[in-house]
Amino acid sequence: MPNNDDFRVKRIQRMLLEMARGNFFYSLEPTHKNDNVASLVVMLNMVNEEIRASFIHQGFANAHNTPQCIIQLSFLMDTYGTIEMVTNSTCSLLSTLPKEIIGKPITDFMTEGSQKVWAKKMVKHLKRERSETVQFLEFISKDGLLLGKDCHISVFRSLDGSGQKILLDTVFFSKGEPFGTELPKKTLKVTKGIKEPKVTLTPEDIEMIRDVHDMIINNLDRDLPLLKDLALQMGTNEYKLKYGFKQLYGTTIFRFLTHERLRKTKTLIQHSNLSLKEIAHLTGFKSAAHFSRAFRDKYGKSPSDLRG
Amino acid sequence: MKKSHENKYAIYLLTDELLHIIYKKDHCIDLKAAQLIVRDRMTLQNGREMPVLCDIREVRRVNKPARDYLALEGSQWVKALAFLIDPPVTDVISSIYLWTHAQSVPTRSFAKKSEALAFLKSIK
Repeated sequence: MPNNDDFRVKRIQRMLLEMARGNFFYSLEPTHKNDNVASLVVMLNMVNEEIRASFIHQGFANAHNTPQCIIQLSFLMDTYGTIEMVTNSTCSLLSTLPKEIIGKPITDFMTEGSQKVWAKKMVKHLKRERSETVQFLEFISKDGLLLGKDCHISVFRSLDGSGQKILLDTVFFSKGEPFGTELPKKTLKVTKGIKEPKVTLTPEDIEMIRDVHDMIINNLDRDLPLLKDLALQMGTNEYKLKYGFKQLYGTTIFRFLTHERLRKTKTLIQHSNLSLKEIAHLTGFKSAAHFSRAFRDKYGKSPSDLRG
Repeated sequence: MKKSHENKYAIYLLTDELLHIIYKKDHCIDLKAAQLIVRDRMTLQNGREMPVLCDIREVRRVNKPARDYLALEGSQWVKALAFLIDPPVTDVISSIYLWTHAQSVPTRSFAKKSEALAFLKSIK
């Protein structure tokens, strides 16, 4: 594979074009090199991931009510992993024509790492009558961009056991229209329950709310001041702080605080010898009972179950 | 007291003053890797909060779930953190990580080990 600067810059441009269209699901193959172009590749991949993550909740761009297109990647294969049928959007995602895909082994479109995973896992799954699994796999488009995602892999079998087929399926979310110019048929609204923005946020407000977010993260073990006082301290009002935070992070300040505290407790439960009471105290929970209840609500089992 | 440990992704050297973690070459740090790296670190530290020198010079890829995990769940029992980097690639990795994730402990990147050690020493 050519690997000169010209070639690498072309890949970067291709990736930027996809981002400009609102397609944040591609990535670039990292190299072992340690030069300026490699640093740009790394940066682009990381920035791309951060942007993609900010669309999950309303995001920094107030993206509520933004229709998000679902693009499906789907292959139907025989038991050897040879592709028998594909959808149009699969071809578009990989920038290839159906005739370039059909009849080829699925591994032709995977990165080396994913090829290994596929070879190892599929033998096991095909032995069962029917099986379903989720596996992270990385595909390579004709342009050399990587598409990585958790894929559903299902093995189908007919009643008389005469035939088996494999279906590999996953979806990608796009900010823009996926491919072609017609209106997307399927749209997904990311926002639940908020019809109109409650407050209008200026860039300064967003900056301020992000500071609050960082402040909470950095002081998880401490009690949060009253929202009224916190708002005053940040030079804003309680209403803007409350609803602005919800708009940006998709949750209330108190839920967010509890959620982040719980994330910390989980590692402490798993990897320390501290008692649950000590953990509750260290991570800012008022009591062990409160901690246990919050933990069970979030993870579906109690802290002592997790410790086992 | 000196202790060392090795897993698929990193080598750990524990002294009385600090924990030195050297990330190995050729691995993509994903969430599973990050969880294992943190688990082994915490087991080794056994509840002791200490400065950590994290040599990421061979790292080429740390994905978003791993970054998020390392920043919050993975930052416990760390008194101060110094990244040892080799510009430009690991410089970019540490810059984006520090820029996008709130740090609850003093964290900085250094290209020279001696400066990284001096920084860790300066944090009481």
